[in-house]
Amino acid sequence: MRISKGALLVVIAVLVPFVVEFRTALSWFGIELSVLESLVLGGAVVLAIVLWAVWPPNGNAEAELSGPN
Amino acid sequence: MEVTRMSSTASRTYLDQFPAEAKVIKAAFWSSFMALAIGGLLGLVQALHRTDVLRFIDPADYYTVLTAHGVLLAITFTIFFLVGIFTWAVTTSLDRGVVDIRFTWAWYIMMVVGTILVGVSILGGVVDAIPTYADVLFTFYAPLQAHPAFYVGLVLFVVGSWLAGADWFRTWWAWRKENPDERIPLPTFMALTTTLFWYLCTLGVALSILVFLLPWSLGIVDSVNPLLTRTLFWYFGHAVVYFWLMPAYMMWYIMLPKLSGGKLFSDPLARVVFVLFLLLSTPVGIHHQYLDPGIAEGYKFIAMTNTMFLLLPSLLTAFTVVASMEHGARQRGGTGYLGWLKALPWRDPVFTGMALAGLMFAAAGFSGMINAGMNINYLVHNSWWVVGHFHLTVGTAVALTFMAAAYWFIPQVTGKALWSRQLALGQVLLWFVGMTFMSNAMHRSGLFGMPRRTAEPQYQGFNFEPAVGTVGEINAQVALGAVLLTVALAMFLLNMVLTSFNDDSDSLPANTYAGTLSGPEDSPAVLDNLKLWTAIAVVLVIVGYTLPLASIVDSGGLFGPDISGFQLAIETDPALVLESVREVMP
Ligand code: HEM
Ligand SMILES: [Cu+2]
Repeated sequence: MRISKGALLVVIAVLVPFVVEFRTALSWFGIELSVLESLVLGGAVVLAIVLWAVWPPNGNAEAELSGPN
Repeated sequence: MEVTRMSSTASRTYLDQFPAEAKVIKAAFWSSFMALAIGGLLGLVQALHRTDVLRFIDPADYYTVLTAHGVLLAITFTIFFLVGIFTWAVTTSLDRGVVDIRFTWAWYIMMVVGTILVGVSILGGVVDAIPTYADVLFTFYAPLQAHPAFYVGLVLFVVGSWLAGADWFRTWWAWRKENPDERIPLPTFMALTTTLFWYLCTLGVALSILVFLLPWSLGIVDSVNPLLTRTLFWYFGHAVVYFWLMPAYMMWYIMLPKLSGGKLFSDPLARVVFVLFLLLSTPVGIHHQYLDPGIAEGYKFIAMTNTMFLLLPSLLTAFTVVASMEHGARQRGGTGYLGWLKALPWRDPVFTGMALAGLMFAAAGFSGMINAGMNINYLVHNSWWVVGHFHLTVGTAVALTFMAAAYWFIPQVTGKALWSRQLALGQVLLWFVGMTFMSNAMHRSGLFGMPRRTAEPQYQGFNFEPAVGTVGEINAQVALGAVLLTVALAMFLLNMVLTSFNDDSDSLPANTYAGTLSGPEDSPAVLDNLKLWTAIAVVLVIVGYTLPLASIVDSGGLFGPDISGFQLAIETDPALVLESVREVMP
């Protein structure tokens, strides 16, 4: 883990308003995402963050930390 | 580490230092939590009813529920928590107990009695056995009329809070005799300046209740001037939002830097901010009345200008608090332009709750500026936008800061360790996420005119589109947000109850608050001249309100053009209730 589980949870929670507001803001530029599209988009970003967080820091599996948490 | 003051009492909890005061504070906190529990649950009932997800109350009772929600959360929950925190702040920072603990209990009990009267009066709207009614919403101005008990309860509650303020002043005076040459410690300074504008603004509402609303409800006078009672309410109604906010600001100033591992960036700046709030909180209330006929545009324009000045202390706060957090993070080894953010204690629910509450407050600042602009206000006035806005301010910036603070304070005043930090962290995050959904949908629908305070808005059978998406989506998002918020609320209360029964009392942090990088010695002595600032505040109020009030009385009369009042409570036929229950049951 690159960051603690608690911190990961915080990052994901803080992401929610960004996704929700991003969808709102985009519509003013004529891009209307449906609920499903927004969910998929949000889910993809969350997945990317989770992957980044659990990936061993330098690509070396042995270097993986047990994590401070 | 030198992050904290009061080294002489290091590693002692508040309970060890001030056992008698701790009891009153604990009682005040629990009164506040009870209001939060009931009020929050009613919020869910409302949200589900309005969005037609689940309707089990009679539409006429919606206003009873809404009144209880508004009063219990915006008045009871916030102010009980405030008196607890301020009592803590004054005694901790002066390092002395209150002058007479019996006096402290007296104002607390007075506030409880007031709350019970108010609560029962409202409840009478739905319980036939109770002969009261108070479906007047938390703004309670004419022509809506409540049972006299409601107004008497409000008066007791407010007078109780006045006595609480007197208690803090007495304690400070006693300390000043013992320490004649010292500056007022920052937390006490914050409590006292806040109390001063509370006195100033509640005078208006006391006048409105004692001279107009109560005699009118008792039948002593048979008419009132609605615009006058509205104006007197908003004279108090804007300042009260700062009354809720000041304890949250205090937490951001004196707790967040400590939790981040550093010190408050600037004590003088913090003092300036609180002085500005003392000066500007009250003479701006007319910005809630941009759409009221009967108040000339010029007065509204003055109120708008003052309001825009009020942005200044909030921007100063954002700067000082973020700078202090950055300082703390760098002390903890954080580096980089934004990389220091990673060094903050995000796993600590007290820190994270307060930081996220501050973040939402920043968002609320933007919608607030829109509300404050005289011309764009016409677009959003009385719409759900406004409800979305204040669930970010009082419903999150204040409520979430208080809940996060409780995770630190309840162990301090009970001597019991927090039951679960993980649950607490999950709780503050869930509140944040739930509020994102609910508030975003409220803003979006309000922008396109969806009204607030409406039990069953109808959007079927014609083409209506809110900003982005459909009405169905808006409803779903509000209902989802409301459910998440209610779950978060339950998690909070569970944690508080289990903490109270916790046997574990090890490793409790000491009762301390943040030290400062630039301390009181750097701030001009005139900042502590409370008499001067109060005098200026009074002058500003006179300037801001004399002419508008005079013209309202002049055109409508002191007791109005024969307004005999209106009781929202509608007699309901049980058969109708049954029918509506059947409608929602499959
Ligand atoms: C469980 C969390 C909550 C939910 C689900 C919720 C829901 C709602 C809803 C749906 C309304 C609008 C009703 C309407 O316009 O018809 C409302 C109004 C209101 N809420 Fe909340 N709320 C919650 C928490 C809070 C908190 C924590 C506060 C303050 C500390 C608060 C203060 C208010 C106030 C002052 C009103 C306006 C009442 C009025 O118009 O008279 N709410 N709430
Ligand atoms: Cu206001």
